Amino acid sequence: MSTDVAVPYLDISDPSFAMHSEAVRGARAQHWFARTNYGVAILRHEYVSKLLKDPRLSQGSGKWPDHNGVHSGLFYDWWTQCLLVLEGDDHHRIRRLLNPASAPKHLEPFLPRFEALARELVEDIIDKGELEFVNDFAEPYATRVLCILLGIPESEWPTIARLASTIGLALGVTLKQDLGVVEDALEELYGYAENLIADRQANPGDDLVTTLVQANANGDSLSDSELRNALCLLIFGGMDTTRNQLGLGIMSYLRNLDQWELLAKHPELARNAVEEVMRTNPTTTWVTREAMVDFDYEDLHVTAGTTVHFFTQVSGTDPEAYPNPEIDITAERVPHYGFGGGMHHCLGHFVARADMAIALTALSERMTNLRISGKDEWLPDSGNTGPVRLPIGFDKR
Amino acid sequence: MQIHVDRTKCDNHGQCTFSAPTVFRLDEQGILQHEATADESLRHDVEEAADVCPAQAITITD
Repeated sequence: MSTDVAVPYLDISDPSFAMHSEAVRGARAQHWFARTNYGVAILRHEYVSKLLKDPRLSQGSGKWPDHNGVHSGLFYDWWTQCLLVLEGDDHHRIRRLLNPASAPKHLEPFLPRFEALARELVEDIIDKGELEFVNDFAEPYATRVLCILLGIPESEWPTIARLASTIGLALGVTLKQDLGVVEDALEELYGYAENLIADRQANPGDDLVTTLVQANANGDSLSDSELRNALCLLIFGGMDTTRNQLGLGIMSYLRNLDQWELLAKHPELARNAVEEVMRTNPTTTWVTREAMVDFDYEDLHVTAGTTVHFFTQVSGTDPEAYPNPEIDITAERVPHYGFGGGMHHCLGHFVARADMAIALTALSERMTNLRISGKDEWLPDSGNTGPVRLPIGFDKR
Repeated sequence: MQIHVDRTKCDNHGQCTFSAPTVFRLDEQGILQHEATADESLRHDVEEAADVCPAQAITITD
């Protein structure tokens, strides 16, 4: 890396490393990228916007199992074949077949059911004056939304939540020691997905599984194993992220109660309310890519194989792009990268945006004076973050 | 059919290029380029491109 200016250094493996910190803000003020103990971190919005979509970078998660000592087996085979890590024509073909099912026009019919679900969960706790947000709202909501989309009985949500959370262990650095439980859960989810696919092939319905079974682009369609891999990815990728993001969302408004009141008065701002959370407090605090070739970008030189982290929260609060970066649900903003970007832009973003807007509306219309009412616990401020436990007190509206 | 991309919304993610690769492409700088018109035979693909655009930046007029 050639350097005429001082390039900051961030130790992103340090347990005390925090995105919302003076050290990271200082690094962003100093330079557009930082060196880290594990690759390069892009800090400023302008550069995240340009480089995140650069075709010289690949998604880079494909080697995750290998990096953690896992070189074969059920999890390895699923991971290395799933959309998340595919590149080039293989990726584009699968992505094309999956994309339309998650587009707004396919989601529209499900929205009233999301609204009914959100209201039901709020009514369950409204007279208590307190809720444990993760258990009482975020997890059942995120999982039951998936059940509704996939046409699974909502009563089965605890099974789906358990399987998704267990497979989620695969994203931790303890992958190798967790491999047994991860593979057991994946095998169970495979069985679940295979049954769903077979059922919808025989009995088409009005759910997303049916849409995917019938997806066809110029005569091409998804094979049974591609369908299974995709459903497992949707469940794995759709539950934890939404649950965590809802927890981060309520926390953002708990710290900005004037904005919460504004949302309660103006539910038509709910979509903006979600964007503001994704911009300033995303669960995916960084998005990772890997250089496929050596290249130079201004004063940054990367060699093939270098990991490039895009800091989403840090770029989302960059004062150059957002002169007044505090949450303002009435503001018009340039796009953030809380859903990543480019070829690998989050597939589920339309669903996430819609279901979180509905959740925030249902919560704000009934709850006011939010406050932390007990001991909260949080995942580390790296990778995919969010609350593990978040007791919130409130007054009924 | 005429194709319009709202450049204030388009963020060059390139999802449209999967649905209608003969109409939409990313150039070497990663900037979206597109045909101004497309043959009626491509209507399904172009409508799909508009549906899946993360920024909802594509509109089609007859």
